[in-house]
Amino acid sequence: MIKIDQLSKVYASGKILVAALKEVSLEFEEGLFAAVTGVSGSGKSTLLNLLGGLDTPTSGTIEVKGRKISDMGKRELALYRRYGAGMIFQSFNLISSHTALENVELPLVFSGVTKKERKQRAEQMLDKVGLSKRLKHRPSELSGGEQQRVAIARALVNRPQVLLADEPTGNLDSRTSREIIELLAELNRSQGLTVIMVSHEEALAAEFAGKIVRLHDGQVVREEKAK
Amino acid sequence: MRLSDYIQFSFSNLWKRKLRTFLTTFGVTIGIGALVSMISFGRGMQKNVTESFRALELFNSITVLPGGFMSERGTQDPDEKRAVSPPSGREESILDDKAAEKIAGLKGVEMVFPEMRIPALVKFNEKEELRLIQVIPAKVAASKLVKYRAGKAYGSDAENSLVISASLLRQFDIQDPQSVLGKTMVVSSIAFDFSVLNPVDLASVFRGEKIPFSKENYELRIAGVTENLTFGGPSPVQSDIFIPPGAAQKMKRLPFSSIWDLFRAKEGRLGYSALNVRLSSPKFVEPVKKEVSEMGFETFALIDQFQEIQKGFLVMDMILLAVGMIAIVVASLGIINTMVMSILERYSEIGIMKAVGASDGDVKTIFFFESSVIGLWGGLFGLALGWVTSGLINGVVNYFLAKQGVPFINYFSFSWWICVGAVVFAIAVSLVSGIYPAWRAARVDPVRALRHD
Repeated sequence: MIKIDQLSKVYASGKILVAALKEVSLEFEEGLFAAVTGVSGSGKSTLLNLLGGLDTPTSGTIEVKGRKISDMGKRELALYRRYGAGMIFQSFNLISSHTALENVELPLVFSGVTKKERKQRAEQMLDKVGLSKRLKHRPSELSGGEQQRVAIARALVNRPQVLLADEPTGNLDSRTSREIIELLAELNRSQGLTVIMVSHEEALAAEFAGKIVRLHDGQVVREEKAK
Repeated sequence: MRLSDYIQFSFSNLWKRKLRTFLTTFGVTIGIGALVSMISFGRGMQKNVTESFRALELFNSITVLPGGFMSERGTQDPDEKRAVSPPSGREESILDDKAAEKIAGLKGVEMVFPEMRIPALVKFNEKEELRLIQVIPAKVAASKLVKYRAGKAYGSDAENSLVISASLLRQFDIQDPQSVLGKTMVVSSIAFDFSVLNPVDLASVFRGEKIPFSKENYELRIAGVTENLTFGGPSPVQSDIFIPPGAAQKMKRLPFSSIWDLFRAKEGRLGYSALNVRLSSPKFVEPVKKEVSEMGFETFALIDQFQEIQKGFLVMDMILLAVGMIAIVVASLGIINTMVMSILERYSEIGIMKAVGASDGDVKTIFFFESSVIGLWGGLFGLALGWVTSGLINGVVNYFLAKQGVPFINYFSFSWWICVGAVVFAIAVSLVSGIYPAWRAARVDPVRALRHD
């Protein structure tokens, strides 16, 4: 269960204060595939960054599985990012000099897992996203869809409770986009993984998501159960 | 994170930018190399001096000077000295044989011999050299104070022999010291010729045509050839030619060997200008000094002067260190530059690491490891560079000095603590240089770093 209460985030852009989120309150049940939609600048990425522990809120609280991540210090947040939430991004954010396998191993490096176990778990994870034949390839040698799969494998290798996807299909063609979202839906179904996806593709979101939240100007304008 | 991962991370990151890493490491190498050779040079000099002091047992020796000698010399104004003249030394404080015997009887005293030097012309192999011949007893000539390259010391104080140094032999164009043993050398002592001092001749003396000295020739057998003096320092036994007291007594010579003797001779207090006292151990230096000064003599111990010399070495070390430190500071700026550049380049990579769970501490440690790897390599290569450089300098300097008959001296001293210290110091410097870059890397905001475009 993810509980967001009165969440606000104000950025200082030069001397002007910009409110990216204005007292947003939301709830996501465990095992849910949720989509957050909205035009760019609506605050959906900010919401995801706060959920992922990359950023801290100006006010309000976020509770993930009973733990208040809005109150966490830097060190705790790092641990939350490591074990609590996995993130994927529009631009994949893979380390270009690392192979697919090394990219997936990265979170395990910070967890202090032995080299042998690391390799084994990363291989398993890449196999799960259908890339068992691409282990030694670098991101530049992979297609966009493959890169996003590597990113998904990396996000899930430390077995988080939540997967946060920030425009995961933004850089992909429609066929690959569908494949990626199908993969996310499949992971959600088979493993009970909670997935929160930010997307502006409302049609795709409506097709797969169990809940759709629409943001506008940092506020929730619509909240509906799909399917 | 595991230690092995930190190491692997830092090596692979540095390897990605080979040229830059090489150049930065090279900067550290030069800095450490300079520092290492500077310190080892300072140490080497000190070691050479200390060891030769010890080898010559200079710490066991005291020089006894006539009473009031030091205080008179300390007076700045010579006229004032005349005025205060009442000799501070009592009547009995004349450095004669009686005083020498008395000092020889003190506890811990092994040997007492007067400081006596005779100016003389030495002729050999159809060449002439002017030298101050030192008179030393056979016992001293056979002691550790004199090292022989060939032959040995004269057997008794009465023998008609001498000991000559290899470097003086070289002046006579003789390379093989063995070849001269047993041969006869002509020594001409120089003495005032009072017959020259009549008004007629005096004019020619002033014109520089004639000198008021007479020369007497003495033939002495060469008994031994000594090693050249290296870091002799202010040794009480230091001369190119030594003769025994017996031979010296036969010589007609100037009754004084220093200008101070001239003054004392006028006052009718002629004694030795100094006595050399050898002790069985440095621990007797203080008590013997005390008793001798109670007799009314001045004393001078090398061990006291050695402490002054050590202070001088400390200053020299500091100067050498300062020069080396300049290179280190420059190298450290190079590290900071490289690391900051590296952070800018890897801005998004740092963001990614943080997004997947790296803590600020992890990021900091990664960068500290990188800079310390630069330090480690810089330290190791710098040590090698310093070692090679000082070896080369040593070789070249010794090559030229060997031509002048100076034996091989190692001017540099590489003790284990210099080696370990250099590497540890290099790592420490690189860690300090890494503080700011590491802090900056840890502060990277993942949200900004991951924002596409």
